[in-house]
Formats: sequence, structure tokens, C-alpha cells
Amino acid sequence: MQYTLLITGSPYQSKACHTALRFIRAALNKHPDSIKGVFFYEDAVLIGNQTAQPPRDEINLTKAWQEIAEQHSIPLYLCIAAAVRRGVINESESRRYELEQHTLAEHFQLEGLGTLVDLMNTTNKVIQFR
Amino acid sequence: MKYTLIHLNSSPYFSLACKEGLDLALVLATFEQPVDLCLSGAALALLTDNQTPTAEQGKNLHKLLAGLEFYDIENIFIEKHHSWLSDQPTWQGVQQLDEAEWQTLFSQYQQVFRF
Repeated sequence: MQYTLLITGSPYQSKACHTALRFIRAALNKHPDSIKGVFFYEDAVLIGNQTAQPPRDEINLTKAWQEIAEQHSIPLYLCIAAAVRRGVINESESRRYELEQHTLAEHFQLEGLGTLVDLMNTTNKVIQFR
Repeated sequence: MKYTLIHLNSSPYFSLACKEGLDLALVLATFEQPVDLCLSGAALALLTDNQTPTAEQGKNLHKLLAGLEFYDIENIFIEKHHSWLSDQPTWQGVQQLDEAEWQTLFSQYQQVFRF
């Protein structure tokens, strides 16, 4: 069985990103091919902000997700509309809005909700963390 | 193709959750995926007619309701017995379910997302 994770809870106001991280580690540990992709929506897109600097004695959630993506080749998608309105911007959006900087962390990519629809139709189950 | 229920439970003015839930419903419908909506809790405020929010208060999401049928989103459910709904003019496009129907609603879809 292959899962898609839909994460909607803010990394600062909920434990959605933390719980999903524990789930994905357990799933990949048991079945390496069990996760098709992870889609971050609503305030969860803040996970992809490369400028956030958590205190050193706390978990760096962004880095933890980047390690998952790198080690297991799991795509991490951020909803482009939700991300851009919250200041999480890649290079091309940065040019489009004539900004001098971009803030999207490595291993995350901006995609439309159509990508989530595609994931829904190509995996057995979508699990929401909110 | 999966049948999806979008459950709105957040106030349309407290956060972006309602708006982003509706956005997902519209995108699903645009991709010709069957999608229904249900509203409960603070999200019921969405149904009140004659809303005139300022820019600071947020977007007038109530105006979106009339356009849902053009996306083939035709099933919008609420639970019966919300007395305040009968006290004021509200959007009439909803279907009211009794308690038993409401409780079985959520098991009729392959996926339910909450906002």
C-alpha cells in the first residue's frame, strides 16, 4: 500500500509536522516504498521556509524533513498559492514578484493543488495531519 | 477517481482554513473529481446572508457559495437543529441531515479532509 501525506497543521501551532515525521519514518522503516509524496498545505507550508532558525536545543523540523527527502527520494510539495502568500518563495516566483530574495528551502518544491489531486488518484490512501 | 468530502469546521473569519478548504474543493471539481462539502461549528457562519466584511476582516467567502453549482459541487451538508440558522436569512443551497445521517455521512467517502 502506498500513502500520500497531506499536512495542513502549522509547524508552530500544532504537532502535525512532527507527528507526520514520526509516521513517515516508521512507514519507510517497514516498507521503503510506502510513501509516494508529501503535500504541505495551509500553514504547514511554513516548514519550507529556509530562513527560519529554530533554537539550537530544539528539533530543526525543516532539516529533518529535508533528510527524509534526501535519503528516501520522497518529493516534498508545498502548495504554491499557500506558500507564496506566506512568503515561502522559490527563485522563479521571486523573479515574478520582482523580489530580491527567495526563501524556499532545498528539497521542497512549489506545486499547485492539481499535484495533490494527482497524488490522490495514484496512491491507495491520503492521510491528513492537522 | 475517489469520492471526497471536504469538512469545514473553522470560522471563515478566524483563519484561512475555510478559504483554503474551499479552494481545494474547487480544484478537485475542476479536475472532475467528485467532491461534496459539509459544514459544522464555526464554519456555519459562512451561510449567513448579507455579509459585508471589510478587507481587514477577510474575504467574503459567502459569495462563493452561489458559484459552487457551476463546478458541479451540488451536495453541501449541514446537521439539522441549528436554531440560529432559522433565526436569520441564510443561504438555502444546503441539505440538512438528521443526527444519524450526519454520523454515517463520513463513512460514505473514500477520503475526508478537514479544514
